[in-house]
Amino acid sequence: MTTAQLDPAVVMVPGFDESARPAAAEPDLITARREAAFKQYLELPMPTARDEEWRRTDPALIPFERFKPAEAPRRRAAPSGAGPWDDTFDVVVSVDDTGFEIRDNAGLLAQGGLTVQPLAEAAQRHPALIERYLQGPARVKHPRKFSALGDAFWRFGLFIHAPAKAIIPRGVLIRYTHAQSGRSVVPRLLAVVEDQAELTIAEHYESPDDAELLAITTRELYAGPGATLRAASLQEWGARTYHIGEDWVRAERDARIEWVTLLLGGQVSKMMVSCDVHEPNAQAYLSGLFFANRTQHVDQKTLQLHTAPNTYSNLLYKGAVKDQGHSVYQGIIDAAPGAIKVDAYQMNNNLILTEGARADSLPGLEIDADDLKCSHGATFGNLDQNQLFYLRARGLPEAEARQLLVMAFFEEVIARVPHEFMRERVREDVRRKCGDAA
Amino acid sequence: MSEQTPFFEIRNLHASTEDKPILKGVDLTIQPGETHALMGPNGSGKSTLSNVIMGHPAYEVTAGEILFRGQNILELEPDERARLGLFLAFQYPVAIPGITVAKFLKSAADARFGQGAVKPSDFIKRMRENLAFLEMSEQFLNRFLNDGFSGGEKKRMEILQMLTLKPSLAVMDETDSGLDIDALRIVSKGVNRLVGPEFGLLVITHYERILNYIKPDHLHVLIDGRIAMSGGPELVKEVEKNGYDWIRERFGKEVLV
Repeated sequence: MTTAQLDPAVVMVPGFDESARPAAAEPDLITARREAAFKQYLELPMPTARDEEWRRTDPALIPFERFKPAEAPRRRAAPSGAGPWDDTFDVVVSVDDTGFEIRDNAGLLAQGGLTVQPLAEAAQRHPALIERYLQGPARVKHPRKFSALGDAFWRFGLFIHAPAKAIIPRGVLIRYTHAQSGRSVVPRLLAVVEDQAELTIAEHYESPDDAELLAITTRELYAGPGATLRAASLQEWGARTYHIGEDWVRAERDARIEWVTLLLGGQVSKMMVSCDVHEPNAQAYLSGLFFANRTQHVDQKTLQLHTAPNTYSNLLYKGAVKDQGHSVYQGIIDAAPGAIKVDAYQMNNNLILTEGARADSLPGLEIDADDLKCSHGATFGNLDQNQLFYLRARGLPEAEARQLLVMAFFEEVIARVPHEFMRERVREDVRRKCGDAA
Repeated sequence: MSEQTPFFEIRNLHASTEDKPILKGVDLTIQPGETHALMGPNGSGKSTLSNVIMGHPAYEVTAGEILFRGQNILELEPDERARLGLFLAFQYPVAIPGITVAKFLKSAADARFGQGAVKPSDFIKRMRENLAFLEMSEQFLNRFLNDGFSGGEKKRMEILQMLTLKPSLAVMDETDSGLDIDALRIVSKGVNRLVGPEFGLLVITHYERILNYIKPDHLHVLIDGRIAMSGGPELVKEVEKNGYDWIRERFGKEVLV
């Protein structure tokens, strides 16, 4: 398929054409990557509801034409105000409509124990790393339209690098707070955790209910040999924010990835994570929590890629739907030829709390190897009537008993969230959504 | 006493489940300070009675009333009954993974006594005392409710809840079934801690064994959805020795008369 054969109306995501490309001068390394991505972007058709992946999440649900790309945020010298959780992290990056700042709470950046830099700056200081990892080997298989868009058009790019043997359990918090209606924000994250290092990255997305926004996020994360990477994202966008997120993760030999995605806000969210357990003894724990109420629509696709023998992945995604809420889960376990002794597990549990709400689940396997252990499943149901009666027999009013059971349902995933404040925040969100009358 | 409003009174109770009549006119009165035992063969309606008292939605009351301090509780939701001071110790307590015992007990106590009525520090202290009294490890507080508990642990957890919520009237639905002698002794010890002039108790059981530990003032025999015979504690030995057939025969004749 060549560019010439494609009608611009079919390939362009409204709002993302030639004129939306960043104008400012950037290091050649970055420019070259953007060029390659833009070319790919032009070669890929805009997804439609006829594509299997978008069949249940019609791209027409997202009013692309109403958004213009936001200006790139500028670096601020002075802090613009702290978030309530900032003190629990070693480094805090906060990004808003006009600026960003990087706060070095523990002096780790100054000492060189950790790198957290804008991508363009990193391309100058650490060209070899950027060369190797930006749009690098985690981007296996299937070129995807919105990843190419993110690579070509990103406006805020961040590079995080933990050197070999660095143990940074408190880690990095990235806060995105956007409020400018009619704008699209396109952040880009690249994180590399080197041999035997240990790092936690937490992300938080927030916008007010009255701002109409589009966020297109692209993340790429690498765990080197024996490294431990914990990545948790808490999505609490306001009621009129649309989010397309594509994440690429790769674990090398003996590495461990703990991935948690918490989707609570936004109007439409279409998320994808591809996790490649790439070398023997790599392990990935992928956890998801989502709760769609009112008219929210949440779609998540997961890929557990086992490209090497003796690799392990364990996925647990739990969701609830209420009112007119609609959730979609599509999962694939993919074991490459020769990937023997693979142990892969995939489970999606769904609570359907009210009539009119809908949850679709499509777990799947694509296996080209034998001598492996793969299992997957999905469950659907309302709350258990016997549990409900038990709680009510102890004096809990029905609404409170139901709320407690929804909390109980999610607790297994919440327990995998690496920070207590984030766990508490998710519990609060779930409580609020349970009590929220449509 | 006849001039006063009875403490707890079941009048001509009829109930069915899935359109099948189970209770066919049960009458039973419990005064404060009294312990009543209810025995009966399998399928006689014992568990149905306990579920109907607590308001299980799977059972439909087709006639009769249940009065607690003069109020017809059949009009109330299960949680309203609990907050009035009724308690059912379940025959098969459900497991609820994701809710710790501590969280559950605190939520239940807040519902019963009012939010903030019990200071968290006092609450924890009292929980520890109750756990020690029931010879249970404090680690139970951090475990998920009944999740992976043995049969005996589940029954002790029911009694722990009873001690926490201090009901005025408790129904124990075959709490003794499946318990070994040590667990039975501990469970009974817990229940006896509540027995007193303000407390009414209905012990539903298959076996007289538990009645050696929790002494009933009255025994009722439920057969085919009705109380076929009532008597004092001496009736326990008779049921143990002769089973239910002689009662069934006599009851049958009485009904025929």
